[in-house]
Amino acid sequence: MRVIRACRELGIRAVAVYSDADRDALHVRLADEAYPIGPAAPRESYLAIGKLIEVARRAKCDAVHPGYGFLSENADFADAVRDAGLVFVGPPGDVQRSLGEKTHARRLARDAGVPVADGTAEPLRDLDHARREAERIGYPVMLKAAGGGGGKGLRAVASVAELDAAWRLASGEASGAFGNSAMFLEKLIERARHVEMQILADGHGGIVWLGERDCSIQRRHQKLVEESPAPSVDDRLRERLGDAAVRIARAAGYQNAGTVEFLVDARGAFSFLEVNTRLQVEHPVTELVTGLDLVALQLRIAAGEPLPFAQSDVRRSGAAIECRVTAEDAQHGFVPATGRIALLREPGGPGVRVDSGLFEGLAVTSDYDPLLMKVIAHGADRTEALARARRAVKETIVAGLSTSLAFHSHVLAEPDFVAGRYDTGYVATHWPPRSPVELDDSALTAAALTAVLASRTRSARRPVAASDGEWSRAGREDALR
Amino acid sequence: MIYEVSVGDRRLRVEVVADGRFFIDDAVVAAEMTEVRRGRQWSVRIAGRSHEVTLLTNEPLRLLVDGTETTAGALDERAASAARGAGAARGGRHELRAPMPGLLKTVHVAEGDVVESGAPLMTLEAMKMENELLAPARGRVVRLAVGPGAKVEGGEMLVVLEEAE
Repeated sequence: MRVIRACRELGIRAVAVYSDADRDALHVRLADEAYPIGPAAPRESYLAIGKLIEVARRAKCDAVHPGYGFLSENADFADAVRDAGLVFVGPPGDVQRSLGEKTHARRLARDAGVPVADGTAEPLRDLDHARREAERIGYPVMLKAAGGGGGKGLRAVASVAELDAAWRLASGEASGAFGNSAMFLEKLIERARHVEMQILADGHGGIVWLGERDCSIQRRHQKLVEESPAPSVDDRLRERLGDAAVRIARAAGYQNAGTVEFLVDARGAFSFLEVNTRLQVEHPVTELVTGLDLVALQLRIAAGEPLPFAQSDVRRSGAAIECRVTAEDAQHGFVPATGRIALLREPGGPGVRVDSGLFEGLAVTSDYDPLLMKVIAHGADRTEALARARRAVKETIVAGLSTSLAFHSHVLAEPDFVAGRYDTGYVATHWPPRSPVELDDSALTAAALTAVLASRTRSARRPVAASDGEWSRAGREDALR
Repeated sequence: MIYEVSVGDRRLRVEVVADGRFFIDDAVVAAEMTEVRRGRQWSVRIAGRSHEVTLLTNEPLRLLVDGTETTAGALDERAASAARGAGAARGGRHELRAPMPGLLKTVHVAEGDVVESGAPLMTLEAMKMENELLAPARGRVVRLAVGPGAKVEGGEMLVVLEEAE
């Protein structure tokens, strides 16, 4: 959807692909052309490189944009696109490969003079090796998939007793998700903030950084809220992070849009985490603050154009906050939820942007990522952005399944978040809230009456006892309408 | 008709009488309701205050009241007294259900096995994350309802465990 929008504005025809599960999806309907690529299982559709190249050829495409999920960080896909004589919108395969192998990326960052957390220089051979290395680094440690990303295939390990189970689960996830079970260890930085720097690099040696995003509000190492500027980052730290990101990009021969991730500890010291060699889900935060269209810039860079501006031309204005609304039961440990969208209201008004593929009637299944929509608010400063985000989230209605919206409402008004005091441990310590939200008497009455009606509507679908019939009609038609 | 209604942790007694008036905890309420979307969304005016209530999910019943989510329930008097009469579940027997929809990757136990509390019983993959289901107590696996490779729905029964000495 996001890519189609940029194409439309640039007068480029957009070709979409879809699996059987996505026949009704919005991106299929809004694209100029759309082609099926197989069953719902990603392996047989969205991850099937051969099928994708075949569609691109048949539709006479010039370029392929990999989106943000699935094959967006797959070097073999980038190579296959190039080998088919097409332009890949993203960094070349060999650059992705060298940064995608996390221990290699760590060495590259260190050689570029960027601080890196203590850890293993090479992938671990086996569990025994992991035990010895963890002992050397000192617990707590992070066990991570060397080929990983997206919060999959990693576990925090507090002591040697947990290492066995963590190894089993993380390497299992890694081989399932990335087809590569290689693992490495890194010192766990407690109370750290996840801060990432957006970069753009053209094919002519031009590299700029656009600003940071704080993505510390996470569950299961996946992000739920992102904002820019990061409350913990001052101008000086921002310059240093930007400079570090550009050095890594230069050392890697980077091209196109990318994100360099860092951990920033409580004292403001930072260490390199990894490079995401793609556009990220949270890119709108940077777009709102800089006024740039990152997808349009990706397309222009891929077409061989030089960056249309220099570092000193980059202007950041105000603050932006993104809420990732997911199909998850936030009240019960963020377990994935499924269902059909029964009613939808997307927010609007000043400073509010919605990126969404939702529509009423859409069946949300467990086939793909639980992300439903993104609500992004921009304001002249953080206070205004927060007020707009709060207002927009309260306006949003997604009925028919459990969502994360109550979590977002809570966080946006929670004193520690409002004060900018948060780190990657935030969700564990601040959710669920100790006291539920109180409704005033009037709202409580409205809810109680609706609960009665809703229970009537439900029992009406079941056999109704004869004595209920009279009231049901009287109540529905006279009293309640 | 009288209903026992819960909204969040509050309990209310709602009476609806045939002439269209409501009583809440025996006090009459002047409420005007319109059904904006059939069975899904209502606009409620109470003494000039305007509320929008949306039914988010049915089971459990969850409402969105002016942008605030709350759980709710409504039972008519007969159903409420029936519910109170129902006994507690049999002690010592644990029915483990899938906490979320997903793919059952591995089953670590067989029927008849005696497992320690905290032992992994199954590995469920959902959204590419692997989650281990652990035994809530020491006990004997008396039933495995599904096998490896099964696609399970949230709430689906997976294992029955009977506590053992």
